[in-house]
Amino acid sequence: MCGSEHTISPSLVTLSSKAKSADLPTAAICTPLSVQSMPPNTHFKKNRLLASLPTTEWKRWSASLESVEMPLGHVLYEPGVALNYVYFPLTSIVSLLYVMENGASAEIAVVGNEGIVGVSLFMGGESTPSRAVVQSAGLGCRLKAQLMKDEFNKAGPVLHLLLRYTQALITQMSQTAVCNRHHSLDQQLCRWLLLSLDRLEGDELVMTQELIANMLGVRREGVTEGALGLQKLGLIKYARGHITVLDRPGLEKRTCECYAVVKREYDRLLPSGISA
Amino acid sequence: MPSVTNNLIDTLPRTARNRLLSICEPVDLVSGHLVSGSDSLTRHVYFPTGSILSLTTSSKDTPVLEVGMVGNEGMLGLQVVLAVGSVPLQASVQGTGTAWRVATEPFNRELAGSRALQQNLNCYLQVTLLQLSSEARCVRFHQINQRLARWLLMTHDRTHADSFNVTQALIAHLLGVRRVGIAKAAGALQRKGMISYARGMLTILDRKALELETCSCYETALKTYARFMA
Repeated sequence: MCGSEHTISPSLVTLSSKAKSADLPTAAICTPLSVQSMPPNTHFKKNRLLASLPTTEWKRWSASLESVEMPLGHVLYEPGVALNYVYFPLTSIVSLLYVMENGASAEIAVVGNEGIVGVSLFMGGESTPSRAVVQSAGLGCRLKAQLMKDEFNKAGPVLHLLLRYTQALITQMSQTAVCNRHHSLDQQLCRWLLLSLDRLEGDELVMTQELIANMLGVRREGVTEGALGLQKLGLIKYARGHITVLDRPGLEKRTCECYAVVKREYDRLLPSGISA
Repeated sequence: MPSVTNNLIDTLPRTARNRLLSICEPVDLVSGHLVSGSDSLTRHVYFPTGSILSLTTSSKDTPVLEVGMVGNEGMLGLQVVLAVGSVPLQASVQGTGTAWRVATEPFNRELAGSRALQQNLNCYLQVTLLQLSSEARCVRFHQINQRLARWLLMTHDRTHADSFNVTQALIAHLLGVRRVGIAKAAGALQRKGMISYARGMLTILDRKALELETCSCYETALKTYARFMA
């Protein structure tokens, strides 16, 4: 957890001040997440991994899952810091970032309601290699790290589910590397928008260009130019930190194949959307 | 018999090691050989002993990128551990040499009954995840000469010899850059006396200098491996 004992990197300070200028929630960048006791836990099943748990497992888990609000920019993990919880995004999106010595970062994967944040935990790691930051505000829930480990060690259907998720995540990471190497900023931007959109309920993202630039590891001017281009083509609308996707098929046409490769693997390996 | 051993096997307790070795068969892998195609069913896992395997993305419209290099520190076929039958990655032999090979079915049976093997492979999986995230960052931020130096060091670590056969075209292909870029970067390393290159044979002359030339990703990877596999 991100407590006061951890230093905030310069990039995150920028992130928070940027959020403020765009009238976005600035609270809790580095304060404990507020834990909600209400509403009843069936909404946890908005997370597809949780939704696909067998009844026995679901009963056992649902008693221990805690609902949490995930405000934009909140840091769930810093690299190398012990993991206390694993997180299941419900309506939020979490970005896994690789942080360099100089503070620059690049996104290596996004996790939304199809996944879990903290896979390192059940592979023998006590901490994660990356920073996990809330990229799109919303709800999530969390489970104590020890409980997660116990569940994983019980083997059975949970183990299988989590392993498959890990493989899907590996594909996303590899494809991110490929995309970083070979594709234009414009294509990457489209990929990033589509991956985010798949993890949201509506067609609107609350997001500053600065944040996108941080995620993609590029300069802000590049993102501005790319976003303007997409807007001119009528694919998106961008106004004061809100991006609305107007023409999804248009974006799919414009992006590189990385999006399709990742989507296909996620569809193949993970349970399909099951509503509670 | 493979002349060099594999660290994932070596570090198993004796009984677990012998049980695993009893289902392994030694194979000779030849550079350029395709071990498994993208999206094809994984039939075997490999524990390289002297060979080096390369994992590359292979999609129809995009040039290739190497996203994993497996030598005697690792295993090819982690998707089997994750209970997944195929992956959209292609595996081919980058360096000629030996390996232990196990068919998926007996491997799964052994894995299910061997806590020690599970632990080793979980740690290796963790290392692999770390390497992948580091890769995404490296291709974004680091210069071609740094990436080339890292690739050479990684290959050197897994070759167990100072000289190895490699073409500049192959390196360019794996690093996802143009061949002229590699020629230029390799030329610079050669002028600085770090490597020599003649008729497809590359020799590492000054490893220390290469370590200074490369980005921090190389050292990070070594530390990560040491931390998890200790």
